[in-house]
Amino acid sequence: MSYSSRIPDVTPSPQDNAKARLALARKWAYRLLSTVSIPMGRDALDEELSSRLDVLCAMLHEKEFPAAAAEQAGAELAELGYLGHRGLRCTAEVLGKGLPALPEFQPVERYAERVALVIGALGSGFSAANTESVLTQQESMQRSLLKAVRDANWNLKESEARFNEVVTSSTNGVLIVDLEGRLLSTNAAVGDILGYSQEDLVGVPLLDLIAPGFTDVLREAMAELVAGSVERIRQSQRMLRKDGEAARLSLTASLLRGADDELGYFVVVIEDGTELALLQNELKRQSLHDALTGLPNRQFFSTQLEIALRQAGPEHGITIFHLDVDAFGMICDSFGGRVGERLLQHVAQRLKALLAGEKAMIARFGGDEFGVFLENTADTPAIGVIMKSINDELLEPTFVDGHGLAVSVSAGVVHRPDTDAEPADVLRAAERALRRAKTGRRGQWELFHAGQDAEDRRDDALAVEMPAAWENGEISVRYRPVVELAGGAVSGVEAALHWDRPDFGVLDHDRCAGLAEATGLVLPLGEWLLRVAGGQSVWWRQRGHFDRAVAVRLTAHQSADADLVSRVVRVLDQTGLAPDQLMISMPGGVLPMADAADNLTVLARLGVLTAIDDFGLGPLDFGQLASELPVQAVRVARGLVATRSPYVAALLPLVRERGVAVAVDGISSAEQAQWWRAAGADFATGDHFGVPRPPGEFLEELEPR
Amino acid sequence: MSDEKNWVPQSVDVSVPSSARLYDYMLGGAHNFAVDRLMGQKVERDMPQMRSAARINRAFLGRAVRFMVDQGVRQFLDIGSGIPTVANVHEVAQAAAPECRVVYVDRDPVAIAHSELILADNDLTGAVQADMRDPDSILNSAEVRRLLDFDQPIGLLMLYMVHWVPTEADPWGLMKHYREVLSSGSYLAITHLAADHTNEGARAAIARMSQAGGQLAVERSRDEIAAFFGDFELAEPGLVRFAEWRPYGPGDISDDPSVNDIAYAGVGRKP
Repeated sequence: MSYSSRIPDVTPSPQDNAKARLALARKWAYRLLSTVSIPMGRDALDEELSSRLDVLCAMLHEKEFPAAAAEQAGAELAELGYLGHRGLRCTAEVLGKGLPALPEFQPVERYAERVALVIGALGSGFSAANTESVLTQQESMQRSLLKAVRDANWNLKESEARFNEVVTSSTNGVLIVDLEGRLLSTNAAVGDILGYSQEDLVGVPLLDLIAPGFTDVLREAMAELVAGSVERIRQSQRMLRKDGEAARLSLTASLLRGADDELGYFVVVIEDGTELALLQNELKRQSLHDALTGLPNRQFFSTQLEIALRQAGPEHGITIFHLDVDAFGMICDSFGGRVGERLLQHVAQRLKALLAGEKAMIARFGGDEFGVFLENTADTPAIGVIMKSINDELLEPTFVDGHGLAVSVSAGVVHRPDTDAEPADVLRAAERALRRAKTGRRGQWELFHAGQDAEDRRDDALAVEMPAAWENGEISVRYRPVVELAGGAVSGVEAALHWDRPDFGVLDHDRCAGLAEATGLVLPLGEWLLRVAGGQSVWWRQRGHFDRAVAVRLTAHQSADADLVSRVVRVLDQTGLAPDQLMISMPGGVLPMADAADNLTVLARLGVLTAIDDFGLGPLDFGQLASELPVQAVRVARGLVATRSPYVAALLPLVRERGVAVAVDGISSAEQAQWWRAAGADFATGDHFGVPRPPGEFLEELEPR
Repeated sequence: MSDEKNWVPQSVDVSVPSSARLYDYMLGGAHNFAVDRLMGQKVERDMPQMRSAARINRAFLGRAVRFMVDQGVRQFLDIGSGIPTVANVHEVAQAAAPECRVVYVDRDPVAIAHSELILADNDLTGAVQADMRDPDSILNSAEVRRLLDFDQPIGLLMLYMVHWVPTEADPWGLMKHYREVLSSGSYLAITHLAADHTNEGARAAIARMSQAGGQLAVERSRDEIAAFFGDFELAEPGLVRFAEWRPYGPGDISDDPSVNDIAYAGVGRKP
């Protein structure tokens, strides 16, 4: 160009200056338009920025640097459109390079500092205005939201009308109670039950209608509703009839809250004629609870443990304690059985108090043994901390019949057992650990291991070796048939990892996936498995050998991987595999995680077939199927296949009703296959139908069929 | 009675992302909620050029509206308008001809509430909450009847819109209905996802976004999209990639060809 900072003596002409500014303004407009949205055409923006550039240049020529004006210019710039940080960066780049190159600002040394100051002030004015704009936009969205809710209020009115209809016609008594505890309105059924007219009851405190001796429990429960610690309360109650008689009834109450969670009013429903049901409940309670301590008994504990196991979150799991009071026999011998009983009551009480903040169940197993399971959360203290606090508490002497007694407890602990473990096995393991703990000093606890130590160490070594083994080609992909149980036809192929480790033996898919999962290798290894299997499937199809879908199982880590969708799309693109020729399955346990469910949904939308593995291990499974997860199939957990779980078998018709196919894995005999076919399973895999084989052998095996 | 949904208007659910707010986020706006931004970040991961694609669609809107104003159109119906903020129809049209009247239609109640708020002191604009698949609820709405005269030319805009209508819902029949109510000299502008685009990430992004809209966007071929125009005469250069419709400056085209070919665009005139 004709301008150069190396010729400072040449004074540029006004025309040259104008031309150079115009070029810079155009460049600025060009860059902004390619980066952000501005509601202006190219010409309009050229003109706009050109006049703004003139203003900035004038500032640079002024003796006193006009900081406020430069900030103002920045603020005005922000108003051009959605410029944001991208627009600011682009402006700073263009002006930072462009201004010092303008002929009017030569020699550049004299202006360099001012240019920096102008751009700085411009930036600060810009970002202040930008922040202001973001806040304004957010505020206007909040207002829009409120407006939208208000606009939709007719909907609310309609539903209120419906509610009133239900209330009016109900044979249960419905009482609307304000936060002060006074009745606002009741339905006709309340009058039938209590003998009052509806008008009589308006403004009457609810507690005035409760029989003496029953008010405290209701008052406390309503306080809990207000505190939000419970959603709904249900109790057997006595309410006073107009004639003075007490009516036995069951009372349910909840607290309705408004849109912003502000308290609304209580809805209390009373149900008459429940004496029989109440009696039944009491009998049931007695059969499930220990009479001495009031704690659940072992039988009740086991059933609840089973539910907790199946529901346990994949992240924290549950922990089971088998507790035993040390030297209890000695205490009974010395002070008598009555003291022993009082002591057990004391222990039960302390345990309840200590674990009140946790999601825990405490039971008395009999004798001096207690069971506890904790549904762990991120905040659950470590086992050692819990045990220490239990023992610290019990070592504080308590006075029983004049005897100051301090006891300790020992414990066997099972931490995070498999979610498909049998409760009886878990309890046995805890007891075994307890016996070990008892061999040591008192107040000890022992974690259950099952020879796990040695195995863990071996696994670590294997996992570390795995990347190199993959690199060396020791890991390959094998294929096994997916068979239709009804006709025996091969309906698909499942791809599996296979590690032939020299001098060691073979590790199957589950082992490989488990090891790779532990180190994170599963992400690249899993993508590789997908790509190899996808390519193989396309190759078979092109040659007319085999044209059924290929199934690949994902691990938990893979399922929740933020890049899963792009990995799958990449594999589909690279191999040419059609989406509906690929079936991806995820372990059911990960689906409560938003990312995994999200991935599954997006894959399904892309046309990929989807399935859930480990079906039957959690009560969540069915709920998920029932909700919107778009799965074609579920695969029953292998352990449940082996045990022929009647619980799962009972679920199958419901699953199939929803158009979801059922697969079973680990089928090892014709008889087993027949059982599951009768139970309603559609597809099967397992050694009975074919072990995983290299691609060539897989095809050969298919031939004779 | 315990069905909580009855107590909260079902149509206002800000725990799920909305495509209108997502689009605003992609344009760099702050008219969105955390859930929209989270979705936006995921979508950008699938398709890093998403912002460019949104910006270029917005730029096409500007060109199409300016073109229509040049042809004498003074009233606009924008179906699937989203949140009318930066560079929207009334801004562009009223800058060119202040007497222009605009009605925005979207099915997102929050987007419409927002439109009503920001347009409150603009007598020449209005907003209607309706689904494009229910033309009568749009055409008979109070706002449309107040602002639009169907005896005069109208500019009908359906940008990034018709691909949300699944084939089972007969989008061609719907578009025919819309074309029929317009008078001679009216214009129709469409941008629509192309079946033959070359953007690798777009499929994943679309699948993900469809969770917000509740259905999957349908990519269509050039012929299928051309059929939406019926007997309307396509203005030069015809039905082309949306970046190639009378591009005028850098904001209209991306450096990345896989952005430029993601959608088809055209403007047709009713004979």
